Amino acid sequence: MEETHSFRQYYEKNLLPDLKVLDRERKKVDRWVTIIGLSAVLAIFMESRFINLETKEVMMFIQLGTAIIAIIFISLAGKEYRKKFKEKIISRIVLFVDESLVYKHDGKVPRSEFTGSNIFQHRCDVYHGEDYVQGKIGKTQIEFSEIKAQYRQTTGSGSKTNTRYVTFFKGIFFIADFNKHFTARTIVLPDFSEKTFGKIGQKLQSLNFTRGKLIKLENPEFEKEFVVYGDDQVEARYILTPSLMERILNFKKKWNSKVYLSFHNSKVYIAIWLNKNLFETRLFKSIVDYTFIEKNVQYLLLLTGIVNDLNLNTRIWSKK
Amino acid sequence: MIIAIIIAAVVFLIIIGLYNLLVRKKNDAENAFATIDVMLKKRYDLIPNLVTTVKEYMKHEHSTLSEITDMRSKAVQGGLSEDERVALDNKISKHMAGIMVAVENYPDLKANQNFLQLQAAWNEVEEQISAARRTFNAAITSFNNAVETFPSNIMANIIGYKRKQLFEIPEVEKQNINAQDLFNS
Repeated sequence: MEETHSFRQYYEKNLLPDLKVLDRERKKVDRWVTIIGLSAVLAIFMESRFINLETKEVMMFIQLGTAIIAIIFISLAGKEYRKKFKEKIISRIVLFVDESLVYKHDGKVPRSEFTGSNIFQHRCDVYHGEDYVQGKIGKTQIEFSEIKAQYRQTTGSGSKTNTRYVTFFKGIFFIADFNKHFTARTIVLPDFSEKTFGKIGQKLQSLNFTRGKLIKLENPEFEKEFVVYGDDQVEARYILTPSLMERILNFKKKWNSKVYLSFHNSKVYIAIWLNKNLFETRLFKSIVDYTFIEKNVQYLLLLTGIVNDLNLNTRIWSKK
Repeated sequence: MIIAIIIAAVVFLIIIGLYNLLVRKKNDAENAFATIDVMLKKRYDLIPNLVTTVKEYMKHEHSTLSEITDMRSKAVQGGLSEDERVALDNKISKHMAGIMVAVENYPDLKANQNFLQLQAAWNEVEEQISAARRTFNAAITSFNNAVETFPSNIMANIIGYKRKQLFEIPEVEKQNINAQDLFNS
């Protein structure tokens, strides 16, 4: 790829000096983490050896507390280093990909946009995000960030109430200006029931009242991968042209992950499940490593490439 | 006795259900056809403006343009059978696609702001018509399935519903996409 070739030069010229400085900091953090880790292990050992307690529960409680304190210290020791890596390195990689892009390591896609997309119907109790990028690719305005969204689940009652947080989305949430005008809402979800249950599954889908009308499209491969709901049959097809369906299929193959799309207010919202935390630094291994840094460029190119994947820069309709 | 009544009631409910299902599907199909009509009307409204703008620049396509104008007035007047209308509409599509390709030979026209706007509106209407046709076909397929599959086919036979014809998406429409790509500068 042309971009990756020129990135080598960019890397050597703009990133290498800072990376070397940061790597020295990494070694310091490594040392701290090792010291904290070892002392925690030692402390836990001593606690079990020299403190005599009647009950095992109290002992375990103390040990757990020690471990938690150690983890807090470890994350504090690395905090500044992680932040610097994002501010100095990732932000410049973002600029390399496209100069119009703005990066905020602690920013995220607004919660209202995430819930407003209506892709997920869970109540969003916890909403975390980082690595926010915003800008314009060609004629298309985009923004995206990593998002983790959870809902609270309580089971049992009285003194046995159990509360836990269930993650219903973790990955990249991407918003782009769509190239056509539309008002109704159309939602494209990964197909679970049709894939598993075939024709009967399709019947079940049409019974999903919370989602609007089921829209059956003529591309069988697309129908197998996705299920489409919408408020307006014609408008859904106006958006999902045969060529866009092909593009979405290829896009899904490229990411090889669960992909959700929502079209609303002339915008497209895309949620891509990822179990990886992108744009992070690392410990105990040198970061003056071209392949390690280059991976971030590839992620970013993949993300900004969505504009081309979905052909959003084609502006032959009345929306400019 | 009670069992007989229950069976009779269930059969009666099934009959009502099948009947309503068929009628609903027929209405969906008719509704979808009406949508195509609305979109076509939108396109007819665009033609006079487009023709006037284009005429100033195009030297060799005058006969095609006046043909388009004629066909358009024929279509707007109404009084045509469904088949005639579809045929006429296909002809208009084909001619207009030809004009849109010919635009390439006129750089001045391609730079005309007014034309560009009309062209964008045209592309949009074309896309909407195509969407409406696909919606119609989806509705017809659903209706045809109901008419031909068991057990609703029994009811369809009784009330005399017959299989409906799908809208053939004309070849021109598929070519349009390529032509559109040409304009994309």
